[in-house]
Amino acid sequence: MTEPRRDGNEHELPGGASRFVRALWGFDVTVCALPATANEFAARRPRFLASNLWLPASPLLGVPGGYPDYLFAACAHISAHLRFGAPRFLTKSLKPAQIAIISLLEDARVERLAAARYPGLHRLWAPYHRDARTDGAKTGLSLLARLARALHDDAYVDDDAWVSKGRQLFLEGRREWHDAALCRRLGSALGNDLGQMRVQFNAKDYAVQPAYRDDNTGLWQFDQDPGEDASPLESEGVRRVEREDPAPKRRERGEPEAARSRDASASRREPERPAPERPAPATTGVEAATRYPEWDYLIRSERPGFCTVLEHSVTPGDPARIAAALTRYAPEQKRLERSALRLADRRPTPIRRLLDGDRLELSAAIAAIVARASAAPPDPRVYRRVRFRLEPPALLLLLDLSQSLNAVPRGADTTLLEVARTASALLATSLRNAAPDLAIHGFSSNGRHDVGYRRFKDFDQPFDDRARARLAGMSANLSTRLGTALRHAGQTLAARNARRKLLLVVTDGEPSDIDVHDPQYLIFDAKQATIENRRQGVSSFCVGLDAGAEQSIERIFGAGNYALLTQLEALPRRLAQLYVRLSA
Amino acid sequence: MSAEALDAFRIRDEPYYLALADEVSLFGAAYAARLPVMLKGPTGCGKTRFVQHMAWRLNRPLITVACNEEMSASDLLGRYLLEDGATRWQDGPLTLAARSGAICYLDEVVEARQDTLVVIHPLTDDRRLLSLPARSEAIQAHPEFHLVVSHNPGYQSALKDLKPSTKQRFGALEFDYPARAQEIEILMHETALPEALAERLVSVAEAARRLKGHGLDEGISTRMLVHAGSLIRQGIGPEAACQMALVQPLTDDPDLISALSASVRACL
Repeated sequence: MTEPRRDGNEHELPGGASRFVRALWGFDVTVCALPATANEFAARRPRFLASNLWLPASPLLGVPGGYPDYLFAACAHISAHLRFGAPRFLTKSLKPAQIAIISLLEDARVERLAAARYPGLHRLWAPYHRDARTDGAKTGLSLLARLARALHDDAYVDDDAWVSKGRQLFLEGRREWHDAALCRRLGSALGNDLGQMRVQFNAKDYAVQPAYRDDNTGLWQFDQDPGEDASPLESEGVRRVEREDPAPKRRERGEPEAARSRDASASRREPERPAPERPAPATTGVEAATRYPEWDYLIRSERPGFCTVLEHSVTPGDPARIAAALTRYAPEQKRLERSALRLADRRPTPIRRLLDGDRLELSAAIAAIVARASAAPPDPRVYRRVRFRLEPPALLLLLDLSQSLNAVPRGADTTLLEVARTASALLATSLRNAAPDLAIHGFSSNGRHDVGYRRFKDFDQPFDDRARARLAGMSANLSTRLGTALRHAGQTLAARNARRKLLLVVTDGEPSDIDVHDPQYLIFDAKQATIENRRQGVSSFCVGLDAGAEQSIERIFGAGNYALLTQLEALPRRLAQLYVRLSA
Repeated sequence: MSAEALDAFRIRDEPYYLALADEVSLFGAAYAARLPVMLKGPTGCGKTRFVQHMAWRLNRPLITVACNEEMSASDLLGRYLLEDGATRWQDGPLTLAARSGAICYLDEVVEARQDTLVVIHPLTDDRRLLSLPARSEAIQAHPEFHLVVSHNPGYQSALKDLKPSTKQRFGALEFDYPARAQEIEILMHETALPEALAERLVSVAEAARRLKGHGLDEGISTRMLVHAGSLIRQGIGPEAACQMALVQPLTDDPDLISALSASVRACL
């Protein structure tokens, strides 16, 4: 787990948290980020409602240890509530102090039960219990922190009568730990004691201690809508949340719906908002529309049918343009044609003169015997073995045809688009005699409703003048919704009848689209698409044309599944070499 | 093949195996009926140990072949060798087993190419015949000869599967990780760990198995638990042993590693 960046990119939470909960208890939770507040001194606490968890996306002030450890401690605590908790308590006529104490007892109860199953949890939580005995005056806050510690740690010594009584009652109730009613009963009583001791309990300043514990919102069913007339604790808690709720701010910034509706809890999830008004996508030349889900890393699930791929026909260009571009690469083409033919040759080839192999090579054996008879050292390499070759994979070359491809990179004399076109042409030309399963497709997007997809050469189509004309007519505009294009290409490829299926992606940078402002969103979606493709037997490899995008490319395709090109003229050669390498 | 050489394949001491259900009697019946057996199940759940145990029980030599893509028919059948100026035929493991009445165990059989596996076809129907084209010879299998194969349906993609014509020659036994109490017992037997620690290691495995399909292709196997236990017996701390034997071998994904490491700490 890496520390999330704090430079304004606060919604990213490490992915280990929900898996940890699943590993412990076998149920799934949705982990969302609780963003930082403007006021860093306002105490933040994790929160849960049903199986939705909100965890601080950055380390809290004054919390010891590493941030990942803290997240796991919080997850372990909340998941203990989910596993061992009862239906939510009713507030009825309880005072704020009683609510706080009942919650505290409930925290201790579920933690005890969870630690009985997983003893190591106790050690996970221990570092966050600080020693509140030296806090000076006995305030409600310090006494509650001391009680929390006393209920957690049997070795802890506390001379305060109220804390000792709380611990004693709690431990005596051991047989009833399975029942949350115990906490309600003890908590009400202890709250009364606190009142009689004239100890002040200021609900406004109260933040649950220790800091890994949730803010108790998920434990209580408030009688009335927590509004102006709510009890101090409730209204304080709720206002705090509203301040932290990032939705309104992000709505102004035009965040995708994806990021918006995750802020709504499961219990009051907004119906999906209708798509924003937008100019209808150009329907000219649209041959087919397919909808695909999109992965939202914040809610860790798919948004079904979220994106639409529109297949466009290609306006042909001049095929002579392709032939002209290829003249530069004549020597490479020769070499690649040869290797492609070698790859295509699936006849078993014998490897002779081996020290060890399947069969004796008769002529070599006779030579060895003759050599020995004439007292010369015999050549011991008398075996042969037959080598079988795997058939070359079905290959789909997927080109990112977004606006940025029209750029002329520094030091180059032509656009990225031109280089990509030549590279595709060289690949298709070199492979045409070897007749592999090859398709060349491209995509560019204009929001989630219009992911344009074009087929320059499809499987089972010859690479003839018509295909060359389509390739020549290739143009680049709009954006890069990579994940959806990967899904569409993956579907196409998965349907091929081949032993191996390879999706070779050429892109010049990070995925992006006009309706997405969180740079991580499309990266995680593309990563998910790659994983889904792999599941259906399609492996992916990416050629990146921008060394600056290495991090996101590695994230999407995985280490070892990408190559970065700094020298653009090398792309045609490299692409064909990659094909040979990946096919062998 | 001389009797002494075959003796090397005999299993002298009882291999420890804790029966999970009725697999021992089922295998015994299949052996009596000379029905080839396929063992299915996740890696490290005890398939190979089971075969060793059954070979010992039935008092048959056990010849094991770990299958791989490079394996050719002659790796199974045999080949001519050159010796003292003359050629000598050397039986391959399958031929040796068929001649001498051993149990031949093809481990991870789907890893072998399908055209290699067809050599077992005449052996596995009522003909029980093995043909050696290189010697122009056909061997009638020894009455005690028995063929067992194993494969793991989990992580193999649709690409790697047995031909139906191969599959249908076998009776199949499905294996899975042992139930909690049994796995604790196995772990204590194999590593002599105290019960409390064995229980905790099994909890780690159970936690990881819940992540199968949620990022993990396979959960922590019984074999991996035994590895962890052996490291602990060498004096390694439980957490370090779990890291080395359970967490790190399982995945390279940093999120999963952190989730698994936290689960280890929660369990220990």
